[in-house]
Amino acid sequence: MANWIPLWLHRLSSPPTFYRFAGTLRPWAMGLAIALGIIGLYGGLVLAPADYQQGDAYRIIFIHVPSAWMSMFIYAVMGVSAFIALVWRIKLAEVVAMESAPIGAAFTFITLVTGSLWGKPMWGTWWTWDARLTSELVLLFLYLGVLGLYHAFEDRRQGARAAGFLAIIGIINVPIVHFSVNWWNTLHQGSTVDVFGHSKMAWDMLWPLLTVTLATKFYYAASLFRRAQTDLLDLEGGKDWVRKIAESEATR
Amino acid sequence: MSRPHLSDACAAVLRRDLLLAWRRRSDIAMPVLYALIVTMLFPFALGPEEGLLQRIASGVILVTMLLAMLLALDAMFASDIEDGSLEQLMLAPQPLALMLGMKIIAHWLTTALPLIVITPLLAAMLHLPAAVIPVLLLALLLVTPLISLFGAVLIALTAGTHRSGMLLALMLLPLCVPALIFAAGAVAAAQQGLPWLAPISWLAAILVLAVVLAPLACAAALRIALDS
Repeated sequence: MANWIPLWLHRLSSPPTFYRFAGTLRPWAMGLAIALGIIGLYGGLVLAPADYQQGDAYRIIFIHVPSAWMSMFIYAVMGVSAFIALVWRIKLAEVVAMESAPIGAAFTFITLVTGSLWGKPMWGTWWTWDARLTSELVLLFLYLGVLGLYHAFEDRRQGARAAGFLAIIGIINVPIVHFSVNWWNTLHQGSTVDVFGHSKMAWDMLWPLLTVTLATKFYYAASLFRRAQTDLLDLEGGKDWVRKIAESEATR
Repeated sequence: MSRPHLSDACAAVLRRDLLLAWRRRSDIAMPVLYALIVTMLFPFALGPEEGLLQRIASGVILVTMLLAMLLALDAMFASDIEDGSLEQLMLAPQPLALMLGMKIIAHWLTTALPLIVITPLLAAMLHLPAAVIPVLLLALLLVTPLISLFGAVLIALTAGTHRSGMLLALMLLPLCVPALIFAAGAVAAAQQGLPWLAPISWLAAILVLAVVLAPLACAAALRIALDS
């Protein structure tokens, strides 16, 4: 019946198949990311009306919120693939987990920087020890800890497994970041966008936000594909399929 | 040949670790001296004004404890990895998690307990009101085992690497943030004469979870890190 799905997934987890798959999809993902990013940012920075209370300063939301979503989404991807890597010892899952970490750390960093840029005019301070800000900062340290542990090992696969274990321990923090504004009523505003319900945001402002969110998702996919490709070439160096690629590159 | 009873094995591991620590008594004194010196630095840096010191006392003591334990954590498995006894423990028929739990208890007894014993002295150095000291001690009794348990998992993860000091700090300190918040909250509440039981109960709940899960995670981490 639907047998081809698990079969296809099994095939995909083999490094040469994934290498080709990622190579085909990457330009499309990157193209979509750039196109959606331009459309979304144009919609957000030019077309959307100014906020009645915050004026034009609110427009940083089109960078801040998508990055914040990505910082948690990538951590979840990293945690899940680290779990798969530990349980089934699939090499590709290790690669995906470890190559997600720097991208996620970058998005977390962007979130913190844009957040403090936004906080200065709105709250009158760059930084405050609010629950959500603090837990996002802890998320950044978790990413950095995973990266540090991964690079501390001489054997890369062993490093990936150890760092993956740390990522799984740290996954407790993701729901804390997400729900912190509901649990502790502090300075950071509550969520205004509800995917499955009624959002507390005008459509003129909402569609650019969702478009930029899609763009960041596609950017993550494209970046992950490229990183995974180089990492796979490095890990599998000396195997037949890598040698063939190297030869075809040389003759070109 | 009959297999030794599980409790005998636990007692043997515990006794061995405590004996090893006792033979190197000067190592036990190091974290205590460190905590004393760090606490002494604060009045120099901030000025000896009593009101200010009273306000920061509990936070300074908690952070000092955390850092002192962090420095001592490195030694938890180091000598056992060097002489191979940890690998013997992994091969032993007894559950590894239980044996590691015993090692964590021994480590807590030899590093955290001396620190807790000198806490009243540190509190007096910073003019913390005597009425608050029991709450501070209670919070420390719950926080220090948490640090030992979290630290054991992370130190097990770094067991296969050579540079681990700063890395351990980078991994451990974010995980300790919730425990620190609750402990500081309890002491601050006690200092203002408010009820302090709720944060202490939270700490106890986290500790119960950690006592059950951390040795298992520690065993899993050790198997990952030393598997080659």
